[in-house]
Amino acid sequence: MTEELLYLDHAAATPLDERVLRVMQPYFSELFFNPSSPYAPALTVRHDYDAAKQAIAQTIGAKGDELVMTAGATESINLAFSSIGGHVVTANIEHHAVLAAAKRSDHTIIACDEKGVVTADAVRVAIRPDTRLVSIALANNELGTVQPLRDIAVVINDEREKRRAAGNTMPIYLHSDASQGAGQLDIHVSRLGVDLLTLNAGKVYGPKQVGLLWASNNVALNPQIVGGGQERGLRSGTENVAGVVGFAKAMELADAHRKYEADRLRNLRDGLQNKLVTAFDDAIISGSQKRRLPSHLHISFPGLDAERLVFALEMRGVMVATGSACAANKGTRSHVLTAINLPPEVADGSLRLTLGHLSTDKTIAKAGDIIIEEITRERKRMAA
Amino acid sequence: MIKVYVGMSGGVDSSLTAALLKEQGYDVTGVYMKNWTKDLPGMKCPWADDLADAKRVAVQLGIDFKVFDFENEYKQKVVDYMIEEYKAGRTPNPDIMCNQEVKFKIFLETALEDGADLIATGHYARVNDGVLKMAVDTNKDQTYFLYRVTGAALEKTLFPLGEYTKPTVRDMAKERGLFTAGKKDSQGICFVGKVGIREFLSQYVQQIPGEIIDKKTGKILGHHDGAIFYTLGQRHGLDLGGGLPYYVVGKNMDKNEVYVTTDLNDKTLWKATVQLELTHWINDAPNPGTYDIRIRHRAPLTAADLTFNDGQAALTLHDEQRAIASGQSVVIYDGDICLGGGIVL
Repeated sequence: MTEELLYLDHAAATPLDERVLRVMQPYFSELFFNPSSPYAPALTVRHDYDAAKQAIAQTIGAKGDELVMTAGATESINLAFSSIGGHVVTANIEHHAVLAAAKRSDHTIIACDEKGVVTADAVRVAIRPDTRLVSIALANNELGTVQPLRDIAVVINDEREKRRAAGNTMPIYLHSDASQGAGQLDIHVSRLGVDLLTLNAGKVYGPKQVGLLWASNNVALNPQIVGGGQERGLRSGTENVAGVVGFAKAMELADAHRKYEADRLRNLRDGLQNKLVTAFDDAIISGSQKRRLPSHLHISFPGLDAERLVFALEMRGVMVATGSACAANKGTRSHVLTAINLPPEVADGSLRLTLGHLSTDKTIAKAGDIIIEEITRERKRMAA
Repeated sequence: MIKVYVGMSGGVDSSLTAALLKEQGYDVTGVYMKNWTKDLPGMKCPWADDLADAKRVAVQLGIDFKVFDFENEYKQKVVDYMIEEYKAGRTPNPDIMCNQEVKFKIFLETALEDGADLIATGHYARVNDGVLKMAVDTNKDQTYFLYRVTGAALEKTLFPLGEYTKPTVRDMAKERGLFTAGKKDSQGICFVGKVGIREFLSQYVQQIPGEIIDKKTGKILGHHDGAIFYTLGQRHGLDLGGGLPYYVVGKNMDKNEVYVTTDLNDKTLWKATVQLELTHWINDAPNPGTYDIRIRHRAPLTAADLTFNDGQAALTLHDEQRAIASGQSVVIYDGDICLGGGIVL
């Protein structure tokens, strides 16, 4: 059934992969035991849970006991920020979870460039001798722009050396929310050069409300949720075994098919982009086209009311987003589009089309045709 | 083509209103009026969803859609008025004030300035040359809420739903496949949302504990957290334990005392004469005489003699009515024509 769905909003949510669902199911029924219980069946569950964490860790080049399993990326981000505190540096296109967490402490919000890229130089300028945390998402959720994390990591390394030379013992860490990049980009923590990494199962065909924070051994985390001492005391509460087992399967699949899937999505996306730009020569593509997730297409039709378009498309069975879903709900213009200086009449006509498993030659062709029809219809109505 | 601006709230009534007018050949623009809402902790603000629903229907109908922001006006004219009235120990009706000050004043003026020839809303009422008449669906009739609107405003207004019953409206919305056809009717005061008036008021007025006193015996039966929260005839929320239910029969705002009784026939609960202030007549003031009146929305019509004394209107009811509270509106009808009314002194 879902194969025919004209769903172009994979950045908001992904459908649970059937293979993920299958491995999760036993932990809702026969393997329901609390992993902390002392009898043998519970120990099996404990073992499966730890193995799942280990498997997830492997996909990012880390160890299982370096992960803190959470109820999603927002919680992971909050744990990272509340643990490290001090002066933080982040960018004006970050997700609300990061911006809101940053605003709880002394912070500097740096501007991205007009292509939606946060440059390493901008980070370098913003770092102060007392900066403790820099947080830059691997890929922006609205534009899909991929950030030069490795270059930013070099800047942070330079700062560390500078501090060492000056006898400044204040640590500085790099955190990245890689929720939008997983399944398409390399998210090996040492190759990215990060000290902390956030991931979200719900964005990679795993269950919602499951996420993780990886932190290197150098980082001392402080729990926000205390209790029975699960997750090395960093996140108490009975383990979400089914969720984490599902997350592991989702990450395994994402990792195994990453290159293939990235190429497939890139081809489909480029085809869709060409089709729309050919149909409407005033269409504007936002975000760096050189540094962009294969799944993302951010396209604006100046003068159009994108929200009307979303409703018109919804009635034709096509599901798309206008900029950021959360921002749209509040009736305010997306902070990301403001950050890249998109003029209001362009920003208000923006669609975020994000491809994924449900995108095929057939669904993308069909969705593209419907988008063209509805834009044409809307423009005709406006001209009348 | 005649340009009509339809107030669209995101509900089924205003959705069908827009659809019907479009079918009748009007050039229809949907307008969502953004009124004032209080964000209470833990409560989801409902207007974003309502706005989206209204817009969705506008897209479905292929009509223009606008948002008019009346937040400041609404706060001043409706919310502040309501809070002040409660503080004075009275029982106001914010929906009546909303129609008088916002929908049929600011909305009308703004729409006309914007190029509209007429406005329309999803009210259950009929209008003919500035004369307001009850809806065909007498159970749904909303003229009670409209008695403070001017005849001049009504001359510029269409109420297409006045000819239909609510079930018919739902069927017609369904037939047209309107997105909002199955949506539940909104309950209570729009800006208060689901929290209830008591919780809403407690954000604005200090809660001062006082005594609940049995009117007959003078005995203290319990305590309340502010006389302001109680209305004549009220039964719920007294928390006086079991037994026969108590009713509020009076309050002393200065002493912060609430008087109650179990006696359903207590004479303060029943009134046969009513003095009106701030009377408003939609067209000409009626002559003294016998009319039908309504003391609250959906209350049955009841006969009363209208007299004027130094210009002040008074009503002598043929049958005593229960719980006519100061601040509430009494609306006067001549047959199915809504003449206007006043506020109980």
